[in-house]
Amino acid sequence: MHIRKYDFNYGRRELMKKIAVGAGAGVLMPLHEVIAAGKDISKAYPDELMSIEAITKGKVKTGDYITAANVEHVKDLLDPIVYGQIKDMGRKIKIKATERTPTNLFPGQFYEAMQRNNASGTTAKFNADGNVVTHDNKPWVGGLPFPDPKNGLELQANMAMSWGRGDYNQYAIKETDINPDGNVAYNYDLVWAELQTQARMDGKIFRDMKDLLRFQTVYFTSTADVAGSSFLSTWYYDQRKFPELYGYLPQFKRVRQFPTNQRFEPLIPGVTWFLTDPWAAGDPMLTWGEYKIIERKPMLGAYNTTWSGDRPNWEKPVHGGPKGITFYDTEYELAPEVAILESKPVGYPRAPVGRRLAYVDVRNSLYSGNIRFDRQDKPWVSFETGFGQYVNGSKKVVGADGTTPAYSWIYVMSYDCQNKRMSRAAHAEQCFGGYKSIFNGDHEQMYNKFFTQQALQRLGQV
Amino acid sequence: MDETNQIQPLRFRLAKWIMDRRGAVAIAFVLVTLAFAAGFPRVEIRTIFKDLLPLDDPFVQVYNDHPNFGNPLTMSIMVKRKDGSIYNAETLGKVWKLTRDIDLAPGVDHDQIISIATEKLRFAEATPFGIDMRPLMDDHVPSTAEEVSDFKRRIEQSPNARTFYVSGDESATLINATFLDSVEYGEAFDYAQTLIKAAADDQHEIYLAGQPVLTGWVYQLQKQTYKIFGVTLGLLTLALVLYMRNIAGVVTPIVCAAVAAVWGFGFIGWLARPIEPLLMIVPLLLVARTFSHCIQYTERYYEILGHVGDRRKAAEITMGVMMAPSILGIMTDVFGIVFIAIAPIETMYNHALFCGAWALWIIPTGVFLISILLSYLPAPRNLEQIAGGEAKESGIHLFQKRVLQRTARITHGPMARITTAIVVVLSIWSVWQAMQIKIGNPVEGSNLLWEDSEYNTAVRAINGHFPGMNTLEIILEAKQRDPNDRIARTPEVAAVSAQIQAMVEADPVLPPRATLSFTDYAMEGNRLFSGGNPKFLPLDPTVSSVRAAGTAVTFGTNPVNFGHISDFEFQNSTISLWYRDNKQETVDAALASAQRAVDAVGVDHEKFTVRMASGFIALQQAMNNVVTRYHWLILGLVNVAILVISAYAYRSIVAAVILLIPVNLSNFLLMAAMDLLGIGLDINAVIVAVMGVGVGIDYGIYMLSRICEEYTSRGKRWDLAIDAALTTTGKAIMFTATIMLLGILPWYFLSDLKFMADMGLLLVAIMLINMVLSLVVLPLLVWLVKPSFAGREDLIVGESVDLSQYQKAKPDVAPASDLHLAAIK
Repeated sequence: MHIRKYDFNYGRRELMKKIAVGAGAGVLMPLHEVIAAGKDISKAYPDELMSIEAITKGKVKTGDYITAANVEHVKDLLDPIVYGQIKDMGRKIKIKATERTPTNLFPGQFYEAMQRNNASGTTAKFNADGNVVTHDNKPWVGGLPFPDPKNGLELQANMAMSWGRGDYNQYAIKETDINPDGNVAYNYDLVWAELQTQARMDGKIFRDMKDLLRFQTVYFTSTADVAGSSFLSTWYYDQRKFPELYGYLPQFKRVRQFPTNQRFEPLIPGVTWFLTDPWAAGDPMLTWGEYKIIERKPMLGAYNTTWSGDRPNWEKPVHGGPKGITFYDTEYELAPEVAILESKPVGYPRAPVGRRLAYVDVRNSLYSGNIRFDRQDKPWVSFETGFGQYVNGSKKVVGADGTTPAYSWIYVMSYDCQNKRMSRAAHAEQCFGGYKSIFNGDHEQMYNKFFTQQALQRLGQV
Repeated sequence: MDETNQIQPLRFRLAKWIMDRRGAVAIAFVLVTLAFAAGFPRVEIRTIFKDLLPLDDPFVQVYNDHPNFGNPLTMSIMVKRKDGSIYNAETLGKVWKLTRDIDLAPGVDHDQIISIATEKLRFAEATPFGIDMRPLMDDHVPSTAEEVSDFKRRIEQSPNARTFYVSGDESATLINATFLDSVEYGEAFDYAQTLIKAAADDQHEIYLAGQPVLTGWVYQLQKQTYKIFGVTLGLLTLALVLYMRNIAGVVTPIVCAAVAAVWGFGFIGWLARPIEPLLMIVPLLLVARTFSHCIQYTERYYEILGHVGDRRKAAEITMGVMMAPSILGIMTDVFGIVFIAIAPIETMYNHALFCGAWALWIIPTGVFLISILLSYLPAPRNLEQIAGGEAKESGIHLFQKRVLQRTARITHGPMARITTAIVVVLSIWSVWQAMQIKIGNPVEGSNLLWEDSEYNTAVRAINGHFPGMNTLEIILEAKQRDPNDRIARTPEVAAVSAQIQAMVEADPVLPPRATLSFTDYAMEGNRLFSGGNPKFLPLDPTVSSVRAAGTAVTFGTNPVNFGHISDFEFQNSTISLWYRDNKQETVDAALASAQRAVDAVGVDHEKFTVRMASGFIALQQAMNNVVTRYHWLILGLVNVAILVISAYAYRSIVAAVILLIPVNLSNFLLMAAMDLLGIGLDINAVIVAVMGVGVGIDYGIYMLSRICEEYTSRGKRWDLAIDAALTTTGKAIMFTATIMLLGILPWYFLSDLKFMADMGLLLVAIMLINMVLSLVVLPLLVWLVKPSFAGREDLIVGESVDLSQYQKAKPDVAPASDLHLAAIK
């Protein structure tokens, strides 16, 4: 027999109160303690925040699909763009059970780093420049800097210091851009590689590059008109500085330097996303400002969504939109506590963006909804990302530690609701050119392969 | 039913049937009116610009297939420094602020705002590390002399900015903002107008142009249209009150016009077709027509009422008498409107449907409802002043009569020869002069607005400083859409673009001011990525080279930024040619030049087709073509239709010819006058010409019918018949013309929409000419021809009736002892 200890709205009321006092995550007890202890997170939240059935009073159950027919029951649990997609564009979303096990919310190595920090008493703070450092003023050492984020800046730091939550990640991506009429306008195959120089899981500084945070390269393998082209971003540890951005076009055999502060243009023709969008932290953290958690509430999102490892090349089926190909088939779960994080592009005098809202799951400080608003405060682009464990039945891809399942992004759907264009990207097993997704690699070898100007020129010899 | 009824014509029997059941018929009218009124919520009054274009024109078809070319959603703001160049902190600051502020305009596409203050305009420099491409303006407005000087240097290194964003004399710069398809034009326009008004000062002039601005102006001025509509209705009602000075005479036309209007709007609402507000003058003309029909009808009712004394009976007789001539007159109005639908222009079709049906509704209201109303309304006390006949008229009625008596004298007897000679000479001259008229009525900017309007002034200013807005687009249309093969970025398209541009630029007759294609961008990309030397501008004719150059310019930017010359997927593209103006000589030469170039490169290619043409120049030509193609055809068809029904009504082809000569002569006179005044023949003039025949023929019908009746009653004396007809029906014609003038003339003086004012002026002109010719030329023709049909007594348009059979009716008014009953046997 199940005894309900709290009335139906207890959880929501408590979340609202926490905004006022700037408290950390968790309702029944601090969430970070539950996660550190590896306990079931239901220790931190009452039933109605953990169960879609409870929160909708039985109108929606785990396993149901949210469609235009029943979306009104969960309207206040969805971000406004997703709600519109379901209501007006034929999108449907399957509801999965809420993930309760802390180790299933992070890459294994990353969770280990958090445990290590916990054990050693390593904590993070912001130095005088506003950058994240350890309590003893050293560069950050990996893991979530703020396991119990109490304000917007701490939450943003959790997303910004290590995008892929691994020292080296290489994603094979299949990107598709869809016109308002539902037809495909552009298709790209690309490799996204990122190498952390600091804030690493191994606690080291790569090649002693103390002023840098990471290298990141995008390398296109298809279509023919862009194959061999690449972009290299070199990120400074100092989050006040813009990354250096170089592009390489193989036919010209020349490296082109892009304006470093030009973050609000599509990198490639046809896509709806800007450099600023990925990870809800596409720009150096301190070039944005006025970070503020404006609301905490339970929400549905692609938090810990299901990986399609059972499908060829891990690619999800599609549905909806004018031609039935606009949306990936996705699964959402009810996250008991989502912090809606507002931020503004204060460092960009010409930004066409007014603010950004990231819908961040406080269990692991990862977003699902990520909406960019224009300066008229109208929603513009939703950069929805589904993160999850790379496990599906008997299929599994291991992470950097070689034992636990990888935990990474699974898909992106970037929808421009003003121009009605969709860009969707799948984290695939491999892309054109034979490049595979990997979560580990020889860092020296990868550095030489992807992260120097000479590397770009070599990659361009296709 | 008595014996009399059995021998009565159908129209009298129908009149009796209706008046015997006038209560039930009145209720039926109320119910039908309510049914039509239920269509009101679906009435949509708005200008749909693409519906103003002829659908079957090849240029329009190209435009409809590629509507994005030619910047249809772009607003251009020109900042002009009055006393020097733009290269100073104050002007550049203004450009920065306007650029930032236009991003807050409702419905703007944030990806498509381009000015020298945005990151989208860049300059390139070769550095030891490669090519460094940076925004022309840094993250702040250049403020020091060094910064301004460096900014100027950067502009000079950017050919695109130098040609399209900074004027040759450096005094002006452009800010282009493109809007989303979903833009609310009125809102965006209001916002932008407020912005530019605030930005203008002693040193700066700010101009705003572009299709969304034009739409905004038209929407704004349409609000004015409703005011003019109200003023005109007020004037018409005032004229009615002053003329009739009794309740029945005022209420009847207003009720009939209102009911016809409800039916007209309700009908188009039920059909769910939009109403074009630019043509709102025509419905007003229909209100005026309803008034004049009702006045004719009511005057006849008063005459009969004075004789028979009983309102119900008088109303019945009037219906029987007036049914045939009224229906005939209204049907000619209908024909004058519906034949416009033949022109393959959606707006004209909808307009013909709306106004044609409305005109048709004047039959039930102006023939049946009116009698019912008159039979219920109190009899007037001023019967004799209106229809009293000899020596009893006063005021305006007497003045009219004197003028008409003098007019009558020149149409018969010895004066007729002189008048004939003058008319013949005038006719020959008018036909010759009319044939000289030019097709098209070009205005730099938009023909919908006055030349000195704010919008057209802005267009002239922008055309004066930049390549401008008079473009001709030659479309390179992909045969297949394949994401792996972007046709606009292939060597074949690059080669054809380059050839066409080279040929038109070398045209000996009229080279364009500027040309642009995606190949230009690709060549510039090629140059920059190859180190910056101009020798690297030409593209190698290989797939990889052209692709690479295309990629060079499109990476790091949104394809919508090339939307003016290529579609989003780089499949279809255009070659834009800019010309100095849109005068017909320029349009002809530009099209000929482009056609020569297209002929030289060929239309059909393996992966694409070269299509002529879109853009402002081509669309203007399309409008001219439709006028050329349909002007005489529509006019001819209206003539034929009217010839047939007139010949039937008068049982005489001669009668039909006599009627048609004055109205067609009116047309030639109008065209001749237009040519003398330098006004070209455009679609407005075609509408006016056709309506001129349809509506103008009414005067002739009134006049000819009256002459026929007077001819019989005045001992078959043509001169007496003409004198009598002119002083009676001629008066009605003059009043009708006055009513029409009141309905139309205010539009010319009050409307800021040139389209509407022009149409008002032309309608006034043709109605006046028609009036004069029906009072002079038609009687003259009758005098010269002396047609035999005039003596027949079986004409359905005859308005005569034997009133003696109705004398027993109970009088509602004292029988007039001395009524003038010239028309009543």
